[in-house]
Amino acid sequence: MTKRDFEEKNSDAYKNEKVTWQDRVLSYIICAIMLCFIICFFCFEKRDFSVNENRPLSKFPVLKFENVKSGQFTEGLEKYAADHFPFRDTLMALMAETQRISGRKEINGVYLANDGSLIEKYDEPRNTGKQIEQFSKLAENVENADVMLMLVPTAIEVCSDKLPANVPQNQKDAQQQVIGRIYDAVPEKLQTIDALATLKNAYEKTVKGTGDILSAIPQKANEESFSGTDGNQGLFYRTDHHWTVYGAYAGYKAYCSAKGIAEVPIDEYDLKIVSDSFKGTIFSKLNDNYFGNDIITSVNHPAWKLKVEYSDTGEVTDTIYNEEYLKEKDQYSYFLNNIHPMVTITNDAVESGALALVKDSYANSMVPYLLAHYHKIFIFDTRYYKGGPSKFINEHDDITDVLILYNMNTIDNDTGIGGIY
Amino acid sequence: MVFSSLAFLFFFLPAFLILYYVFPGRAKNFVLLAFSLIFYAWGEPIYILLMLLSSFVDYVDGLLQEKFQSSVTKKRLSLSLALIINFSLLGYFKYADFSVSIWNSLTGLDVKLPGVALPVGISFYTFQTVSYSIDVYKGRIKAEHNYLDYLTYVSMFPQLIAGPIVRFVSVQKELHKREINERNFVSGIKRFILGLLRKVLIANQIGALWDTIRVDDDISVVTAWLGLLCFTLQLYYDFSAYSDMAIGLGKMLGFHFPENFMYPLSAVSITDFWRRWHISLSTWFRDYVYIPLGGNRVGKLKHLRNIFVVWFLTGLWHGASWNFVLWGLYHGVLLTLEKYIWGKGLKKLPELLQHVYTVIIVVFGFGIFTFDDLGEMGHYFIKLVGIPHNPLYSSEFLWYSGNYMIVLVIAIILAFPVYPRLLEKLSGKKTLTVSIAKATFAVVIIALFILAVSSLVRDTYNPFLYFRF
Repeated sequence: MTKRDFEEKNSDAYKNEKVTWQDRVLSYIICAIMLCFIICFFCFEKRDFSVNENRPLSKFPVLKFENVKSGQFTEGLEKYAADHFPFRDTLMALMAETQRISGRKEINGVYLANDGSLIEKYDEPRNTGKQIEQFSKLAENVENADVMLMLVPTAIEVCSDKLPANVPQNQKDAQQQVIGRIYDAVPEKLQTIDALATLKNAYEKTVKGTGDILSAIPQKANEESFSGTDGNQGLFYRTDHHWTVYGAYAGYKAYCSAKGIAEVPIDEYDLKIVSDSFKGTIFSKLNDNYFGNDIITSVNHPAWKLKVEYSDTGEVTDTIYNEEYLKEKDQYSYFLNNIHPMVTITNDAVESGALALVKDSYANSMVPYLLAHYHKIFIFDTRYYKGGPSKFINEHDDITDVLILYNMNTIDNDTGIGGIY
Repeated sequence: MVFSSLAFLFFFLPAFLILYYVFPGRAKNFVLLAFSLIFYAWGEPIYILLMLLSSFVDYVDGLLQEKFQSSVTKKRLSLSLALIINFSLLGYFKYADFSVSIWNSLTGLDVKLPGVALPVGISFYTFQTVSYSIDVYKGRIKAEHNYLDYLTYVSMFPQLIAGPIVRFVSVQKELHKREINERNFVSGIKRFILGLLRKVLIANQIGALWDTIRVDDDISVVTAWLGLLCFTLQLYYDFSAYSDMAIGLGKMLGFHFPENFMYPLSAVSITDFWRRWHISLSTWFRDYVYIPLGGNRVGKLKHLRNIFVVWFLTGLWHGASWNFVLWGLYHGVLLTLEKYIWGKGLKKLPELLQHVYTVIIVVFGFGIFTFDDLGEMGHYFIKLVGIPHNPLYSSEFLWYSGNYMIVLVIAIILAFPVYPRLLEKLSGKKTLTVSIAKATFAVVIIALFILAVSSLVRDTYNPFLYFRF
C-alpha cells in the first residue's frame, strides 16, 4: 500500500459514514440539552454563596481595559459560568456517583474509606517554614506563661487502616513526618504535645470497642432517626474534616498528660446528640447523598457557670454553643459560635488560672473539656485578631498557659498563621 | 479559549452558530472572522496583532508574486522576505529564551533572558501562512485577493490553536463557496461531541493520574511505566480530540479539514506511527522540507542528512527545549534504522510483537517529550529500570491502576480502530440490528455528554497541553 492509498483509505472511514436518523436524533437532543442549560443559566436566580460547598461563589468579572488585557476578565467569566451553572449540585453528585460506581476509591481529593466515611487527602505542605517561624515568635515573645504546641494529625494519619486497600504508604504517614519536622525545629521553650500517640491509642480502643471514649457515647433515643449513619461515632466526622468531641477528648488527654494535670473522666460530662443531619466539608467536595450524614454531640458539665464574651460583636451569652447553626448547612459552627477574632470564656465554677488559646476550628470542640481547669480562657483566631496575641498575653498576668492548637489538614492553607506572634 | 470549556460550549459556540447561519452567503465569512478574533483574544488579547501582522505579510507576498509572475528573481525575493519575516517572528516569540540560554551555556556569559511569553497557536498559524506563500510561489494555488478572506483562513477558530495545520489549497474553494447543509451539520456535531468526550472523559482523567504518578517518588518499575503510558494516552486523546472537534466544527460550517490522527497507537512500526500521528504536521515537513532537500532520491549520506534535518526541526517545532529536539531525533534514528536495518525483518514478526515493539518505543519516546528538565527526566528514567532500589512491583501499582481501571481499559480499546471496524461489520447485518445498535450508541453518547458537562462543572483539571507548540 502506498502512502497516498493509505491516506485516502483512512480519511474515507469518516467521510463515507452515512448520516442516519439515529445521528439526527442524537445531534438534536444534544442541541436541545445545551439550549436548556443556556435558558436555565439566564433565568435562574444567581446566588452569592453556595450553602452546599460552604464558599462564596464568584461574581461577574469587572469589564475594565486592564482586566481584558491581562486575561483576568475572561478567566473570571469562566469561573462565573462554572459557579453559577444550572443544576451545579446535581451535576457534581452525578460525577461523584459515576466515579464511585466505576470503582474509584479516591474522588476529587477524597478517599472513600472502608467503613463508608470520607477521608481527605493530605497535600505536600508548602508553608512549614513559615509555621515554624511564627510559632517560635509567639513562644519567644510570651514572657510570663508556659507556651505549648499541639499539632493534631487528622483521619488520614490516625485512621489510616480504614483507607482503601493499597493507598501508597507515603500518603498515610506524611503528617507524622511533617509534625516531627516542626517539633524538632521550634525552640526548647515551646513545649510540644504528642497528640498522635493519644489519638492512635484512642482509635484502636474504639475500633476494638473497649475504650472509655466509646463507653461514653450516648444511647441513641431513636434508632430510626439515625438511618443516615451507623450510629458509630468515631474520633473524626465521617463527612467533615474536623474531629468529633470524642477525638477532641483524646486531644485533651494528651494536653493533660503533657501538662501533668489529671483529666476529668468523660463520664462526668453530659453528652447529648444535638443533630443527626450534619453534612460536612468533605461531603461538599463530592456532594453525593450516598455518603450519608454525621451526628453532632454536645458536651456539657453540670457544674459550669459560664460567661462567654465576643469581642467583635460585644455579645455576651452563657453557653459555648449556638443552636442556630444546627439548622444550617455549616453545623460545625455550633461549637463556639463560628468565627470571632477573640472570645473570652469565664467559668465561675473554677477559681483561678487563665489559658490563652491560639487556634483553628479544631479547638472549638476541645474547649468544653479545658473549661474544667481554668477560670478564664481567651481564644484567639489570628485570621481576624490583629496585633499578635503575645502583646495581650503579656498584659494579662493571670494567664499561666498558652496553647497553640492546629490541625494538619488545613494548617498549610490557614491564612491566620502570619498573625501568630 | 479552549473547546472543552463551559464558556465555549454554552455561550460562544451557540451565539456564533446562530449568527453564522442567519447571515447570508458572503457575510458568513465576516461572522466567522469576528468570532475567530474574539476566540483568539480570549486568552491573548495583545498577540492578536502579531497574528494580523504575520498573515498580512503572506497576503502581500501572494499579491506581489502574482504581479511579478514573469520575473523569477523578484518572486524569489518576495518569498524570501515573507519567509524571513514569518520565521523571525516565530523565532523571536518562541525561541528567544532558548537561544539565549544556549548562548549563555556555550560562552559562559550571563545574558539576561528576554522572557518572551509564547503566543498561543503561533506555530500552527505560521506553518499555515508559510505553506500559503510557498504554494503560491510554486504555482500550486492562485493568490488570494481578498485580505479578509485570507485572514479568515488563518484565524479560523476551529483550527487556530491546536491544528490540524490546514493548507490553503484544501480550503480555498470552500472559503468562497461552500455547501452548508443539515447533513454536514449533524455529522459535524457528532464528530465534535465525540471529540469532547475523548478530551474531557478520557484525556483529563488519565492526565490527572499521570500528574500524580509523575511526582510520586516511591513508585515501582511497573508504576513508572504505567505513568508514561498514561501520559501517552493523555497526549493522544487530548490532541486527537482537538482535531476531532476542529474537524467537526469545520463540517458544521461547511469546511472539510484533513484528518490529523489515524489511530497512531495501533501502528505496527515507527514508520507506520508517523503516517498516523499528527498527519498534517508530518506531511508539512515532508512537502516543505524533506522533498525540497531531495528526500530519499539522493545519495545515502545526503538522505541521512535530510532525515536529520527534518526530525531535528520536527522536535524543535514542539517546543523550545532540548528534550523536544531529543525526542525528534530519537524518532529520526528509529525511522532510519527501520528503513535500512530491521524494517523488513520487523514485518515478518507476528503482528502482536510488531504492536508491542511500536508501543514501547512510542511510550518511552513520550517520556523524553514530557520532561523539559533533563535532570527530572533522568530522575524518572531511573525509576523505569528500578535503579537504585525501586522494586519491580509493589502495591501502589494496584492503587493507581485500580482507581482508573475502567478509563484505562476504555482508552486502550478505543486507541484501536474499533468503531470503524464495527461499522464495517454491521454494514452486512439486518437493518433492525443496525438500527438498535446505532440507537444504543446515541443514548450512550447523550448520557456521556451530560457526564462530561458535570466534569467540566466540577473539576478544575482541564489542561491545555499545546501552549508550548
